[in-house]
Amino acid sequence: MENEKIGTAVVITSGKGGVGKTTTTANIGTGLAILGKSVVVVDSDIGLRNLDVVMGLENRIVYDIVDVVEKNCRLKQGLIRDKRYDKLYLLPAAQTKDKSAVKPEQMLELVNNLKKEFDYVIIDSPAGIEQGFQNSIAGADMAIIVTTPEISAVRDADRVIGLLEAKGLQDPRLVINRIRPEMVKRGDMMNIDDIIDILAIDLLGIVPDDEAIVISTNKGEPVVIEEKAMSGKAFRNITRRIIGEEVELLDLDSNDEGKFTKILKLLFGK
Amino acid sequence: MKDDVITFKGVKEGIFIDIKSGNLHLVKEELDEKLKDSIVFFQGAKLLGVRGRNLSHMEINEIKSIIKDKYNLSISEEGLPEYLNEEDILDDLKESFNNPLADNDIFQGIEEGMTKFINGTLRSGQVVEYSGNIVIVGDVNPGALIKAKGNIVVLGTLRGVAHAGIDGNLEAIVAAYNLQPTQLRIADKIARPPDENIISYKLPEVAKVHGGEVMIEPYLPKK
Repeated sequence: MENEKIGTAVVITSGKGGVGKTTTTANIGTGLAILGKSVVVVDSDIGLRNLDVVMGLENRIVYDIVDVVEKNCRLKQGLIRDKRYDKLYLLPAAQTKDKSAVKPEQMLELVNNLKKEFDYVIIDSPAGIEQGFQNSIAGADMAIIVTTPEISAVRDADRVIGLLEAKGLQDPRLVINRIRPEMVKRGDMMNIDDIIDILAIDLLGIVPDDEAIVISTNKGEPVVIEEKAMSGKAFRNITRRIIGEEVELLDLDSNDEGKFTKILKLLFGK
Repeated sequence: MKDDVITFKGVKEGIFIDIKSGNLHLVKEELDEKLKDSIVFFQGAKLLGVRGRNLSHMEINEIKSIIKDKYNLSISEEGLPEYLNEEDILDDLKESFNNPLADNDIFQGIEEGMTKFINGTLRSGQVVEYSGNIVIVGDVNPGALIKAKGNIVVLGTLRGVAHAGIDGNLEAIVAAYNLQPTQLRIADKIARPPDENIISYKLPEVAKVHGGEVMIEPYLPKK
């Protein structure tokens, strides 16, 4: 370890379950690796692990985060290299233990060790605000809050932002997931401005509701790889903003795909 | 790590040199370093001899002559006390327990032996571990883990992880009515399905170790 790195640890959290934390983690991790960064994605959802499945790496797991923390194996043995990108690694959660298997101090030590080896340590937080959440934020330098345009998800996001501030994690950034532009237009869905107005944090990106996500999740291939998918483009933009590039917000109304279908409709009258 | 190469041990008869390493070159180097620093101490002590489990008699004699000639230390005539040899055997036994692949104490009951039956489906996060064979009358879902010292038989679909022969029996098998595991392990061998989609045969299959690798074949090939 001649040239020790000092990477950045980013926790992806939301409070509410099912808003897309794991999907966001997999896509940001993969997206950063595509941009040439060395990345480790850490699943801190002990007992309900998913990140390995979403990344398509489940069948490679031999050791997990609890084995690493309890020193049953070396850190290197616990890391699983991604099958597509050499610079991307996964540290899976244990499935047969529960959240109390790891303490915040151990998590802090682990994340600090990982920061010496990687440019980015992306931590997938479990739902809730109990010990699993406390573990996931223990070593983080920065937080990304994922929410959906629903009042319940926004309420939970607000609570989590407060908890993060209390722990000294300032200026979290927001990802609004699963936006349906036609519903927003009709006034049936909260729009981006409403959400920002309540949460009052910087917007990192917006991701449209997209069938491609379901397909890619089931295939174990993050959608960020998909050139054509709108959601893939959204995640590519988000990763570029994370490394400091200025990228305009995705215009969900006039995307290329939309234009193309419109032309098709005109031509074929469907 | 270097400390493990040579240690000076005291017993009531005197002191002796305990050598763990089998690398003569390394041992000589280490011996020089240790004796140089504390030669005065050893001049006054009664040196009983040299114990080196991983060294030949010739090599031990070579080390003894270095001690005598180069450092002018005398080695007592009575040699190492008897009980030190017994200690050797005990240490060896301990080592074989720590090494799961030593032949003498791995589970042998795969032809006929203790068996645990599980009625029902094993779900994600559930672990079954047994020092014998395991039979599951049900399915094993992804995220579940079965660990047996002997064979594993699933009378349903195996989708989770199965580890047969956990203490080193390479003859152990994993058989399932429908074998679609996340991962299969037999003794110290680990296998996983290929990343490309594979055609499943819809036949009961069995996994065993052939030539150092886990192989899967139908066990009712005529059906």
